[in-house]
Amino acid sequence: MDSEPVGPIERQAVVSPTGLPFSMKIVVAGGYAVGKTTLVGTISEIEPLTTEADITVESLGIDFPGEVTTKTGTTVAMDFGRITLGPDMVLYLFGTPGQDRFLFLWDELVRGAVGGIVLVDTRRIEDCFPAVDYFEHLGIPFVVAVNLFNGVYRHHPREVREALSVPANVPVVLCDARNRLHVKETLVLLVEGALRRAQMAGVAV
Amino acid sequence: MSDRDQFGLDGSADVVPIELARRTVVRPYMLTRGRTSSSLGVFALHAPLLALITTDQLGRNATPEDRKIIELCQTPTSVAEVSARMSTPVGVLRVLVGDLVDARMVTVREVEDRADHRDVRLLERLLEGIRGL
Repeated sequence: MDSEPVGPIERQAVVSPTGLPFSMKIVVAGGYAVGKTTLVGTISEIEPLTTEADITVESLGIDFPGEVTTKTGTTVAMDFGRITLGPDMVLYLFGTPGQDRFLFLWDELVRGAVGGIVLVDTRRIEDCFPAVDYFEHLGIPFVVAVNLFNGVYRHHPREVREALSVPANVPVVLCDARNRLHVKETLVLLVEGALRRAQMAGVAV
Repeated sequence: MSDRDQFGLDGSADVVPIELARRTVVRPYMLTRGRTSSSLGVFALHAPLLALITTDQLGRNATPEDRKIIELCQTPTSVAEVSARMSTPVGVLRVLVGDLVDARMVTVREVEDRADHRDVRLLERLLEGIRGL
């Protein structure tokens, strides 16, 4: 990929060498009960499913209490949905476990992710700080989506941007998690950003 | 309606590792004979699996779990999805799937090391796909 020039794009299905579809992942983060699973369910072609991820010693921080001697510490439930984009590509949306104490699980969730959506409830803006910090720190493309509850928002996206002090290249948008078009547009913004970044990286190489 | 009720576990039973006990009576890692990792490494949550055989082709000594995995993976299905549909923790499933991959009954498209998520062509395809929703 590195040496390939960014040229005219063939508008055809990309073929995976194994015959299996390419699988892409986007992570939906934010505070507890901010509407992550709602957002996933709005655009997913399946009812959101729940999987239990095991927290193993390798994926734990060294000071995670009480789990040093066991290989299989605990399990954390994660909700996710699926969107089939064609025979050649499937997109998975994973909701991060809500509480900060599961931040260490994000490493697994975020590995290989195209990017993240940070969902914000303006009544509890601070709940999304860990997610914003996390994506910023790891340099993962993300957008901030201000969830509209019952169609109302209490803070303008500009105010949310100031409160979060996110860089100018991070979009801050209004997004009713129940509105399919809103969710779709938010995904488009995210992938556009990820694509721009990948193109720039390709040029730099 | 919860699994806890089903097994008569009311939150007070703090000696019971609820997370492990509530789904099945058999502890999940019994299924893997205590192994917690696969010889093939870690499959990503969104890595697609595909069965290379049908359930009819499974031997008589195949476990119900193997049978279920083969059944679910007749079309490409992700690790997370098989885990969810079997109510089996991802870590356990990875070991079971690893065995089936070893036995050439299932193939996996490993996604972790491939940097598909930074591949311009794939991102363009993804964007096109989402716009078309």
